[in-house]
Amino acid sequence: MEVLTSLFNVALLVAMLRTTAPILLVALGGSFTTKAGIFNIGLEGQMLIGAFFAVLGSIWTGSAWGGVLCGVAAALVFALIFALLVVSFRANEVVVGLALNILAGGMTISLMKAVFGTRGSIVGRGIVGLPKVQIPYARDVLGPYAQLISGYTPMVYLAFVAVPLFVLFYRRTRLGLHIRVVGEKPEAAEALGISITRVRYTASLLCGLFAGLAGAHLSLGYITMFTENMSSGRGFMAVAILIFSNGDPLRVLAGCLLFGFADAFSLRLQTFGYPSYLILAVPYLVALTALFALSYRARPKLIRETAESMRRFLRAETPSDTTRPS
Amino acid sequence: MSTRMRAFAGQLIAVLFALALGSVVILLVDESPIRVFTTLLRGAFGDINRVAGTLLQTTPILISGIAACIALRGGMFNVGVEGQLFLGGFAAALVGFAFALPPGLHVLVALVAAILAGAAWIAIPAWFRVRFNTNEVVSTILSNYVAVLLTSYFTIFLFKRPGGWSETPPILSSAYLPELFSFSRLNWGLVIGLILAFAAAWYFRNTPGGYAVSMTGSAPKFAEYGGVDVKKRGFWVLIVSGAVGGLAGGVETLGVHHRFMEGFAPGFGFDGLIAALLANGSPIATIATALFFGALRSGSLLLETDTNASREIITVIQALIILSVSAQVLLRRRGDAQAGERRWKF
Repeated sequence: MEVLTSLFNVALLVAMLRTTAPILLVALGGSFTTKAGIFNIGLEGQMLIGAFFAVLGSIWTGSAWGGVLCGVAAALVFALIFALLVVSFRANEVVVGLALNILAGGMTISLMKAVFGTRGSIVGRGIVGLPKVQIPYARDVLGPYAQLISGYTPMVYLAFVAVPLFVLFYRRTRLGLHIRVVGEKPEAAEALGISITRVRYTASLLCGLFAGLAGAHLSLGYITMFTENMSSGRGFMAVAILIFSNGDPLRVLAGCLLFGFADAFSLRLQTFGYPSYLILAVPYLVALTALFALSYRARPKLIRETAESMRRFLRAETPSDTTRPS
Repeated sequence: MSTRMRAFAGQLIAVLFALALGSVVILLVDESPIRVFTTLLRGAFGDINRVAGTLLQTTPILISGIAACIALRGGMFNVGVEGQLFLGGFAAALVGFAFALPPGLHVLVALVAAILAGAAWIAIPAWFRVRFNTNEVVSTILSNYVAVLLTSYFTIFLFKRPGGWSETPPILSSAYLPELFSFSRLNWGLVIGLILAFAAAWYFRNTPGGYAVSMTGSAPKFAEYGGVDVKKRGFWVLIVSGAVGGLAGGVETLGVHHRFMEGFAPGFGFDGLIAALLANGSPIATIATALFFGALRSGSLLLETDTNASREIITVIQALIILSVSAQVLLRRRGDAQAGERRWKF
């Protein structure tokens, strides 16, 4: 019992919200491309390059927000290259995405050596982290539970506030509708005179914006440092979430909370002396399990509908009839 | 000009374009491109030892490249070669140090263990891919992370060699892959890789099964209409691809390191995938591209000592090559909007 209370407490929830934020930001970014019908495996690289340039910008400008700006700009450049190749040149999106991920990995390490002369990680050196937002009166009203809503970096609030805004965006705005049409029925979009190219470019760039924010949160949020490959597969987990959530903001949120929980829980377990290698694998295993378990439900609508209508058809006919296609 | 020549010329131009872009990046990190490229050349082909070193680096890239080729031919991406390589490497090491067998047999059993480990590791993603169309790119990428952590766990917590290092005990000498020359660690692994490449090319070109796989990849509806069980075929394509990925790890363990170390072969699986993509899914062309990337890798060892650039600059160059190859439609006929989509349809 004591073990349980020390495992499950307010601090775990707080840690969960913290670890959810970066993956939620990047997954929300990916929801733009998912909805626009682009499979964007390059999220990982955009996040990584964002994290690196956020640190760089923070050192150059001496301000965390300058860092965020730099990180977002770098991620936008990657998103632009992705869109250029995938939308304009119609290159294979998996190939381009993977290549951009590799590029981000190699580039951050090369630039780290060129700028700082070190390998591995950048710590200190005047990196300014994001401020923590203290909600006024939270402590008076909620007492010990105040840390649930107060004291996070602005990115955490942004990530969670963005979810309902995304719902509204897809339901109520012209651009949101256009993105969905382009993703679901490109022919219809074309017939309506919507420029598929422009919508997909917009979606890719919006995606880069959020991936950059996620990266900036990684390197300037709770730890102010950059490490080689510090995104460590979060971008890929986000893609897994996007696959089974189909980019719907609320389901994206649910998926990200699951990962935030897995992440925070595994960190917690480490303090109990379980082998760290196995614990570190937990979030990836959760991602894989969720992907496999939910893929049955996420079968393409077309297949599901065809299967259902065939079943109906077969029920209506008597077995002796010639229901087999000739 | 024949289509084959055109494709080759296009690929060559793309590589040159990428090298030009790479030079810009090298200038950005404050180093001279000429110095970097000559250092790379010197490091890769400077003398006979360096050439052997290049071939040594080429071996795992070639075998992983063929693993990737097989999946690409079947219209799928096996991005998990890296993970299969790690598990295969560990399985081979386990057989190598835990059992005592007669010399020839020992190598064989260890390689079979590596193959089985690789195949087993891709089995779940492969099954979900064909049964529920679960995206194999994401599932294999995520399983890479698990594979690396799992083998690290095995190595450090279960089979650690007494003494400081994060590695398993050394394998028995009966499980060594024999070396080809006396002056280098270059071993029969390269020959295995070359045989695999030719065997795969022969299979795809000359057998009904190979044709069925190619059609499953490029025209699944046609394949289905022609009587191919697309799902079953796709499943086995991924299994074989994973098996070859495991073999790559086994060869690396038995031929080079003679033990399994934590993080023993970083990035070989990805290099293999890139080599296969650059070769457009052709096993024979993968020999050339794997050699190219092997040379880059081996040359990059000199980069760290002789220049200010880090050896990861070659990863940048590799990524730029793939990007410019994927954008090759630029160089083709204008207005052929489908050209990009047709590419990578193997």
